[in-house]
Amino acid sequence: MSENMINPVPEGANKAGVASSDRRKFLRKSVALAAGGAAIAATTSANAADGLKTWTTPLKNEPTRHMLGRGVVSVPYGLPSKYEAGVVRRNVGWLTADTIASISFTPWQDLHGIITPNGLHFERYHAGAVDVDPEKHRLVVHGMVKQPMIFTVEDLKRMPSHTAIHFLECPANGAMEWRGVQMDSLQFTHGMMSCSEWTGVKLTTLMEMVGVDPKSTWFYGEGTDGSALQRSIPMEGAHDQHGKPIPALYTSHYRDAMVCYAMNGEALRPENGYPIRLFVPGFEANVSTKYLRRLMFVDKPLVTYQETKHYIEVLPNGMIRQYDLVNEANSVITSPCPDFKMNGKGTYEIRGIAWSGYGKIKHVDISVDGGKNWTEAKLTEPVLSKCLTKFTLPFQWDGNEYLIMSRATDETGYVQPTLKQLREVRGFNSIYHKNSIQVWKIEKTGEVKNVQIENV
Amino acid sequence: MSKSKMSNWGLGLAAAAVALTLSNSAFAFDTSADKSAPKVSGIGMNITDAAIKPWNISYFYDGTNLPDGSGTVSAGEKIYSAQCAMCHGDFGEGAHGYPKMVGDPVDQFEASAKAGVDAVSNRGLNNNWGNAPTLMDMIHRAMPFYAPGTLSVDEAYSVTCYVMNLASIPGVGDDFVCDKTSLPKIKMPAEPLYVTNSGPDTDNTRCMKDCYKGTEFVVEKAASIGDVSVGKVQKKDSQ
Repeated sequence: MSENMINPVPEGANKAGVASSDRRKFLRKSVALAAGGAAIAATTSANAADGLKTWTTPLKNEPTRHMLGRGVVSVPYGLPSKYEAGVVRRNVGWLTADTIASISFTPWQDLHGIITPNGLHFERYHAGAVDVDPEKHRLVVHGMVKQPMIFTVEDLKRMPSHTAIHFLECPANGAMEWRGVQMDSLQFTHGMMSCSEWTGVKLTTLMEMVGVDPKSTWFYGEGTDGSALQRSIPMEGAHDQHGKPIPALYTSHYRDAMVCYAMNGEALRPENGYPIRLFVPGFEANVSTKYLRRLMFVDKPLVTYQETKHYIEVLPNGMIRQYDLVNEANSVITSPCPDFKMNGKGTYEIRGIAWSGYGKIKHVDISVDGGKNWTEAKLTEPVLSKCLTKFTLPFQWDGNEYLIMSRATDETGYVQPTLKQLREVRGFNSIYHKNSIQVWKIEKTGEVKNVQIENV
Repeated sequence: MSKSKMSNWGLGLAAAAVALTLSNSAFAFDTSADKSAPKVSGIGMNITDAAIKPWNISYFYDGTNLPDGSGTVSAGEKIYSAQCAMCHGDFGEGAHGYPKMVGDPVDQFEASAKAGVDAVSNRGLNNNWGNAPTLMDMIHRAMPFYAPGTLSVDEAYSVTCYVMNLASIPGVGDDFVCDKTSLPKIKMPAEPLYVTNSGPDTDNTRCMKDCYKGTEFVVEKAASIGDVSVGKVQKKDSQ
């Protein structure tokens, strides 16, 4: 190591080299090591202006300077650097009975944009990921239609295409935090959400082809995996099983829906529904049926297992709430975050992501004093409907404690709630749609912790 | 404030819905990009209802599309013991983290929720299932978990019958026969508890300065990952 002073301890080498199950511990260890290495290399002479030390050791060449690298197509499908081996999806063993009906989390702490690389898109299976042969796969569109039709995957690719960037979020994102602070990691507090450029056929194109009866007020998709998952999706004029109207807030999202065959420019991954999936932007992810084999247009909801037992909310008044379909405005600071320690005093940029299932993000405000005072963050273009929006705000860390948090407002005027506000209407024992303001605490040691403010 | 904006939006959509019912070319309301899109022709095939039938195994809450056939509690008990009990428990109590069939009685479930006690982990067919036909749908479509879709219609009806009997669903005695006529008549105990979401239920405001006075109570994680934190309350001076 002493002969390689320019980069005493590549952080990634530590990530990859330490076989530890507790990632946060070894990440922090590597940060500490890197800091130690720098101290060895640098002299103690200080820059008078801002206290920076001065590097005086003559620079040496890295081994890569005197060798030839790999040739083209040595890795026919490119992979991340070996030093990024720690940037992976992770799961929480105790959360589900097995990994087949389970979920994994996107490592937002290591990502820098609004697009989730396909290999890091969160996974949610009800009966495992399957390999569906695209040559044999068929999509049937039927029900209240003039002419039921059947399509191959190639048929769908030939039709007028639609491409849009949207987030996709499991309504259980944040679920483990309802009763108290539990997951001291951004990956596990907000990783059941990803964002991609989706390409496919608009649902309305298919609806026109089969001639959907205007009296049809619901439709549902069904997958060809073991769960054959089906969810009822309302359209204009939809009524619930009691005959009550579904709020108009939920009856227009289907117009943006599509049958997708591509994400981020390449074919869907098996984990995300290859060869085709339904995608309803803004709605909770489970309505976007993977391995889609059937779309049926009807005039009432199915009230499936998913709608009566699973994706429901037991309210504090004892009632069971159904059809909470939209992921409302949400945001989180992705840096700093509990997955990494602060690396000394001075300039940082508070960065994060905000999203809303009702449309565009209008404002993101940031507080570093526990929510007493707020400053509007800068939104990074593009700002798109039902899509992640990146936000930034400069931050000088003086080594003191801070309670940092972000608050999103969407174009409908809806303001992301505090946890207290959410608990007042949903109680402590809820599971889904926890979109409350996330607070991180920066400690004097530089540790960043997941905390909750209970009384505001 | 957010709620009033939401309802304005809702009125706009109601107008769109009226337009939809008046027009035969149903999707004229869509974006301008779609209006200019050419009509799609020469792609796909027509298909008959008879050809679709093997895939159309969706049974609605009111019994629509339930198949011919029937099942009994006693036949269901045998199938359940062999194929279901290892995950859902001999008495429907759940096992290895898989869902229970029998939870607290519905009035106790409701009382627990009102008292702030965790009612969610006590969910069963007797307190958190709205309609019997969709139980048949779930069992026939996706059970048993390790071999989904392998039960015959009669077997699925039988398992449906047995688990409802196990959960003491009123009317499902030991001699009950489950079929497309009997299932829609069952009154599931939790059915009256279901309500449809009416829209955003919080109304935070975009306060920017001096948004509250006094001290915030900061709760940190008290236990290791995997446990629910009891939380420790600590005081923090204002910045």
